Amino acid sequence: MKKILVIDDEPIVRISCERSLANMGYEIKSASSGKEGIELLEKEPFNLVLLDLKMPDMDGIEVLKKIREKWQETKVIMITGYSTVETAVKTLKLGAFSYIEKPFTPDTLLEAVKEVFDLPG
Amino acid sequence: MKNIFLHPKRYLAVKLIIAIGVLMIIGSFIFWYATLQKQEKDIMSIAVKYGGSFVDFVKESTRYSMLTFHRTSIQQTLENISVAEGIESVRIFNHAGKISYSTYKRDIGSYVNKTSISCKGCHLDTTKTFELLQKPKKWNIYKLTEGEATILELVEPIYNESACYTSECHVHPKEQKILGFVEADLSLELLDKALFRQGLALTAYVFIFTAAAAVSLGIILYKLVSKPISELANGMERAAGGDLDYSVPIKSMDEMGILARTFNSMIKDLKAARDQRELWTQTLEAEVAKKTEEIQKTHEGMVQTEKLASLGRMAAGVAHEINSPLTGIVTFAHLMKKRVPDDGPDAEDLNVIIEQAERCAKIIKNLLTFARATPSEKGELNINDVLSRTIFMIKNQEKFHNIKFNINMEETPFITLGDASQFQQIFLNMLINAADAMNERGTITIATRKIIMDDKPFVEIEFTDTGCGIPEEILGKLFEPFFTTKPVGKGTGLGLSVSHGIVKHYGGNIDVKSTAGTETSFFVRLPLIEQKI
Repeated sequence: MKKILVIDDEPIVRISCERSLANMGYEIKSASSGKEGIELLEKEPFNLVLLDLKMPDMDGIEVLKKIREKWQETKVIMITGYSTVETAVKTLKLGAFSYIEKPFTPDTLLEAVKEVFDLPG
Repeated sequence: MKNIFLHPKRYLAVKLIIAIGVLMIIGSFIFWYATLQKQEKDIMSIAVKYGGSFVDFVKESTRYSMLTFHRTSIQQTLENISVAEGIESVRIFNHAGKISYSTYKRDIGSYVNKTSISCKGCHLDTTKTFELLQKPKKWNIYKLTEGEATILELVEPIYNESACYTSECHVHPKEQKILGFVEADLSLELLDKALFRQGLALTAYVFIFTAAAAVSLGIILYKLVSKPISELANGMERAAGGDLDYSVPIKSMDEMGILARTFNSMIKDLKAARDQRELWTQTLEAEVAKKTEEIQKTHEGMVQTEKLASLGRMAAGVAHEINSPLTGIVTFAHLMKKRVPDDGPDAEDLNVIIEQAERCAKIIKNLLTFARATPSEKGELNINDVLSRTIFMIKNQEKFHNIKFNINMEETPFITLGDASQFQQIFLNMLINAADAMNERGTITIATRKIIMDDKPFVEIEFTDTGCGIPEEILGKLFEPFFTTKPVGKGTGLGLSVSHGIVKHYGGNIDVKSTAGTETSFFVRLPLIEQKI
């Protein structure tokens, strides 16, 4: 079973992700901050991280850099409120797999997730 | 001319005429008086001369009777002579003054008046008979009573001579020098009359001459002095009153003419100076108005920019906060929708929730774009390229299917500094607005050209549609955030506002010209980078 970690400071976004991906055959855990997310990652490996770009303590870019550094196998999808081409390009350059814009529908999220896991290898 | 008589003191000519007139009258009077005196003197000397001859004649007429001592004959001769006109009296008296013969018999035997010329002619003092005057006076003129004729009194001594003291009678001793005197009083009435007439004539001449001289002098002075001066004064008054187009009409070559010409050229200079000054004032006013307008525009721009900036900051915060709850709404609405029958009323209601949430998301997206006035990618780019890409992008979209494009871009690259995606967004916005304005049917003209604004090169991008035009009263509100004429749900009212913010940021501007009902042109102007060749 694929393991997914949702890191977002907004409970509603975490809940939305959990509910959208529930019963789809994924194991979902969530963290309310970048720090908490890193701690969870250190405890157990995750296949995918849904990462909010903007958070109070440690922003998405920093968390992304850390994940790319320590857990190369873990894929990252950025969740962004700022749907700017610049930030998107920046995150992709840093190694994010893709990004989705808030607000997203359950189908959008599911498609993005599927895309990651459908990847050969 | 009339005023001269009303206010003589105000006129130089009048004063001159009075001064010269007084001098002339004094001069004429002196001339008149001297002439009269001279004439009188001359006539008198002639009268004295003739009088002397008359006395000599009396002496000679009575000489024989004297020598023969015929007293009655002497008396008779005197009486005969006195018949002649003008002879008042003739008397012969001795050295003591005793009258021996007279034309008036009653005088015989009496004495002559010792204060009269008869004695005083030689004797200073009649009591001192030996003190004689150096120059004896032999005649005198007097008037018996005022108004009567003048009398010439002549005295001639009868000197002793050999015939006298050798005659038979031997009345006089040889030693006696003067035997007696012949004294004649002659009337000068005729001379008086002649003198009076001459005096009258002379007076008349003098008066006529003075009057004629005064009149001609007056006219000459009026013409040469008074009139030009009053014309000059008039010119000066008019100049002082501000009428600088007037010139004094004096053409003479004398000092007045020089004065008038100097004055005229002075007025001309003054006029030129005034015109120059007025011109300066006008230019200054125009300049001030222009600067004021510029300041006002800058101020408005600043207010607008500040408004946009603060709105942008607020929008960014709000957008970020709202996106998360919107995610929740959209997610749960979708999840619910999966649990209810697709054709039921609940599904429809949930669709409304999803639609409206998505609308919110769209508004927020626009707000974010608007908030993102600060460019992140700034570089040199060719406006023609950006514009071409934008046009290429939209041409195949359904919205633009029935629209004809009239593209007229200058071939030279227009290099500006900025963010291509932002410019693309502006152009896209312009094209969508144009399509909406003509209900997606008509012609859009797109043109680029180089212009000069405030001595700096700019590229001007024109978007002209053949749409409904923009009413004048809303032209001023076009760039205000959230101002829209589109139906609810179609536009956010942020497009032009965002475009304006971006263009302003790069030092450009957006202008709009509209003819209601015919067409609307938007001009986006961006500063060009100086090309280094």
